[in-house]
Amino acid sequence: MANHDIDLTVRRGTVHALCGENGAGKSTLMKILYGMQKPDEGTITLDGEQAALGTPADAIARGIGMVHQHFMLADNLSVLENVVLGAEKLHGIGAKARAKIMEISDAYGLAIRPDVLVEDLGVADRQRVEILKVLYRGARTLILDEPTAVLVPQEVDALFDNLRELKSEGLTVIFISHKLGEVLSVADDITVIRRGTTVASVEPSKTTPKQLAELMVGSELPSPETRESTVTDTPMLGVEDLRLSATDSDGVVRTVLDGITFTIHKGEVLGVAGVEGNGQAELVEAIMGTRSLDGGTVTLDGQDLSAASTRKRREGGIGYVPEDRHRHALLLEAPLWENRILGHVTERPNSKGRLLDLAAARKDTERIVAEYDVRTPGIEVTAASLSGGNQQKLIVGREMSHHPKLLIAAHPTRGVDVGAQAQIWEQIRAARREGLAVLLISADLDELIGLSDTLRVMYRGRLVADADPATITPEELGSAMTGAASGHLTAEDADTREGGDRE
Amino acid sequence: MRRVTRFAAAASASALLALTATACGQSFAEANRASHAGVGLAFDIGGRDDHSFNEAAARGTENARKKLGVNVKMLTAKNGETEADREQRLASFAEAGYNPVIGVGFAYSRSIENVAKDFPETSFGVVDAVPQGKNVDAMVFAEHEGSYLAGVAAALKSKNHKVGFIGGVNNALIQKFQAGFEQGVRDTDPKTKVTSQYLYPNNDKGFNDPAAAKAKAGGMLDSGIDVIYSAAGQSGAGAIEAISKRKGAWAIGVDSDQYQQPGLAKYKDCILTSVVKNVDVAVFDLIKSVEDGKPLTGVHAYDMKKKGVTLATSGGFIKDIQPQIDAARQKIVEGKVKVKETP
Amino acid sequence: MKTLTRSFTKDKVLLALAAPLLAIAAAFVISSLVFLASGENPLRAYWIMADYGHYSDSQVWIINKAVPYYLSALAVAIGFRMNLFNIGVDGQYRLAAFAAAAVGGAIALPGALQIILLIVIAMLVGALWSGIAGVLKTSRGVSEVITTIMLNAIAASVIGYFLQDGRLAIKDGNLLHTRFLPESSHFFSFPTHPKPVYGFVVIAALAGFVYWFVLNRTRFGFDLRAVGASEPAAEASGVSVKRMVVISMLLSGAAAGLVGMPTLLGESFNYGTDFPAGIGFTGIAIALLGRNHPVGMAFGALLWAFLDRTGSRLEFEGYAQEIVGVIQGVIVLCVVIAYEIVRRYGLRAQQRKVGEELAAQARTNENDKAEATA
Repeated sequence: MANHDIDLTVRRGTVHALCGENGAGKSTLMKILYGMQKPDEGTITLDGEQAALGTPADAIARGIGMVHQHFMLADNLSVLENVVLGAEKLHGIGAKARAKIMEISDAYGLAIRPDVLVEDLGVADRQRVEILKVLYRGARTLILDEPTAVLVPQEVDALFDNLRELKSEGLTVIFISHKLGEVLSVADDITVIRRGTTVASVEPSKTTPKQLAELMVGSELPSPETRESTVTDTPMLGVEDLRLSATDSDGVVRTVLDGITFTIHKGEVLGVAGVEGNGQAELVEAIMGTRSLDGGTVTLDGQDLSAASTRKRREGGIGYVPEDRHRHALLLEAPLWENRILGHVTERPNSKGRLLDLAAARKDTERIVAEYDVRTPGIEVTAASLSGGNQQKLIVGREMSHHPKLLIAAHPTRGVDVGAQAQIWEQIRAARREGLAVLLISADLDELIGLSDTLRVMYRGRLVADADPATITPEELGSAMTGAASGHLTAEDADTREGGDRE
Repeated sequence: MRRVTRFAAAASASALLALTATACGQSFAEANRASHAGVGLAFDIGGRDDHSFNEAAARGTENARKKLGVNVKMLTAKNGETEADREQRLASFAEAGYNPVIGVGFAYSRSIENVAKDFPETSFGVVDAVPQGKNVDAMVFAEHEGSYLAGVAAALKSKNHKVGFIGGVNNALIQKFQAGFEQGVRDTDPKTKVTSQYLYPNNDKGFNDPAAAKAKAGGMLDSGIDVIYSAAGQSGAGAIEAISKRKGAWAIGVDSDQYQQPGLAKYKDCILTSVVKNVDVAVFDLIKSVEDGKPLTGVHAYDMKKKGVTLATSGGFIKDIQPQIDAARQKIVEGKVKVKETP
Repeated sequence: MKTLTRSFTKDKVLLALAAPLLAIAAAFVISSLVFLASGENPLRAYWIMADYGHYSDSQVWIINKAVPYYLSALAVAIGFRMNLFNIGVDGQYRLAAFAAAAVGGAIALPGALQIILLIVIAMLVGALWSGIAGVLKTSRGVSEVITTIMLNAIAASVIGYFLQDGRLAIKDGNLLHTRFLPESSHFFSFPTHPKPVYGFVVIAALAGFVYWFVLNRTRFGFDLRAVGASEPAAEASGVSVKRMVVISMLLSGAAAGLVGMPTLLGESFNYGTDFPAGIGFTGIAIALLGRNHPVGMAFGALLWAFLDRTGSRLEFEGYAQEIVGVIQGVIVLCVVIAYEIVRRYGLRAQQRKVGEELAAQARTNENDKAEATA
């Protein structure tokens, strides 16, 4: 997507936030700044001097460093080795390099342990290693691409402390995000991008999240709040004592799911919170039937589905919005109408008997595109050419078109712009009103709290805590996600624990 | 629907194109009538320089070139050929006016039969096969008889009383070599053990894979076998190479006198003798008959009696056992010994 | 909206044409360099090939040769559409043809019945042989590439064992072959000039149509393509990937079973030591050439046969025998590379275009809104 008329001024020694919807042009701008893409016209000035950034090497030489959203670390190497990899010329690979690393780590409070293997590090630690890598190469200006997407609230706070430390040492940070609360709490200046152009520069102290969001979308702010309850007494999905173990790459058998029991009623949204990798993905796969269970039962609308195939389960009324839509929900190089058939090939209008009904499938794709506001020039384009939000709208539209009894939505608005996010939330709310049961898994705690009727927290393959979304705060939920709290979470409980932590 | 029509259109268009072209077109032969151009020689797998079978045929045409002044053109088979490829090769010769057209090897059996029908004016010859046809000269050899003599020599020369046979491909022709060899060994020294192995069960690659023969011979040598007879076309060179590296071991060559082959000169001191198939004589006979205007047709068997198969004496390694070999030959010629064609 | 869709299809057609044209141009250039490097005149070579190829006997020859090539390519393509690499088509068709020939020589059913029986036997044997690889892949995780190569070797040995005098073969001079099929199992042929064209060309065309129809018009075909496009997505959509692997291997083997039939029922009428081998490998090249598309592979098979035919002519005219093999390899490489380049370019172009269209739409919408408020 092309950018035009971008005006951005970043002051030295500040945290400058760049925010906009997904697809607004943040990534392109970032690539230009980091020398990965050349601008057609316009100039970049660094310290009053015009700079031509042809390659990332140019950018690094000019003191610009970038921390990518997806970490670029070698798991089986130590932190030290990862840092010096590719920069061996600077300080060698031995004691000098180690001293330099410790110096940087201490200066900015990064708490780096140079000899630990990267594979043993948590997400937040890895991120700090990435930051250190950039600093080690002499960066004075850091670009951070959506750094908080992978962190829990406590880790976000720690990251922000690091950023403030960097700032106080005179470094400049460009912080890319579409999470408004974070932007407002850490940034000194904010530039908003919409449809490839800068629409506003604002000061955080004079801006509310609502105003900021409106600038980003160009319209009113959506909210995930759902209040009037539609929960009924009729159980729709029953999951009883689900157990699952898996063999990891070292041949060790680990328990992935243990004693998972819950019921979702008609008209109820059950939210599952948890740090990624605690069994949420496996829970979804177990319910979808793509993993065979070691024990336990899955019932849908009174029907035992424990032994049914994935296709039987889908035909039985499970709609599925998977976490990784590129891997699990789309054929990226196939046209939209073929993607509309995917997962529902045995159902009308996609097929009649054993034959496909291409005309009907195409027509119905047109309908989904119109009804669910999928922004595309036509249904013959490949799924890969749509933006994330539009892909997701197509997926939600497809799943809802088959009138499911249960909708499984895993991170439904991840990597989706604010506009699409609002529409997807609205779809989930509508589904709930119509009496669907919804299993919602998300890392976005606002989304979880806002949409769910019941909340559960998953930790190391078990449902360890539950909470009432009406009273819980993201911070309280966050501490349960790290295993620090269990049982029924109430506001008071969380408060006392937090008080205790402070002492 | 759109796609169905597009598909159908494309398919029928190409079909139409193909069939109209074939139905009304002219054939190459009709367009290119040629007069006498010389001798066409189509080789089996391995090509002219296989140091054995094909080379023997080539020698026959060389003689004809020198003595009769005829022109010669040679073409070679590829691995994995089909009947159609062979027919095309033979037809190309006939179309261009080559006469006679000779296929070396029984692989040409069926193709000669088919092509000979289309070119009744041309004489065809084939080595090692007996196809039907009024204008076909079938040249067959008593490989089993020659191999019998090789067996006699091997039994007499083996110190360990262990001899081996390596066949290129397990087919009817090579089995004749195996049968004769085994019988010759048995009749001479019943105590001597014969090990017979093939490189490939049914892939023509066996005549074109010296590396496989080398490995096979190496295995035999390791088990104490000290005389190895290989009937494997070009692959045989691999076996000879392996044998040359083992002191005291003998190789028996096939088809041509391999002691005299320039390509094998490095190893000639281990080549005890060779079962020579006088393909060159047969080929020369056919060319001469065509030149004389009385082309040979029908089956011509080149057996021991007619000296179609002989045992080479180059190198003089079998001089000491020549009397026994001559005696064995005599018995075959007189019919006192009947050599079997299958093992 | 309508016009946009149309412009996208137009682009698609242009892109579809760009790839083969690019490939042909590149192949011409590289082949010419090969000719020049070997000290030959490329233009004369092309002229010889074109001239020789246009005669009717060449064309009959080419079509007849292309029929087994095409069937072999279909068998390979079924696997390719599933991301399976069936290298074993060679062993499958030979074993299948051998079994059909052995049965066909032993019994004599009236007319068409015998032909149908033999074709069914061949397809079953081919499917059985490839099915082994499918089952091993799903049950034990062995790569089908390895197993099918091994099964090729085993098939050759099995045939070698039975194709002996006194077992299933009879000796005919220096050839060994199964008993001749009775007249009733001779397939019809088209009386073209000067030689007939195999009637089996009809079966090949039919097989191509069935391939296309099943893949593009049935639920099963959709599932198969989905697995080929993205295994995890197919699994999540409810396809049993393991079952699909076995089924598609069986289908691939069944198609491979047809490869030997034009020769067996139309020309040799027995399976002998001179039965053509290696067509299974040629099929891989042709499936790549034709991009697994039924019409594309038909052109690919004809092109390959054309090169076989005219290449031998080049040898006759004094060119090196190996040069045609080089040209065939160059063409396959050029096609594969050209298609990949064009595919990537197309994907990028489409993404850009979608972005531009949407931006334009958004701008007009905004203007409309602005006017409305004004």
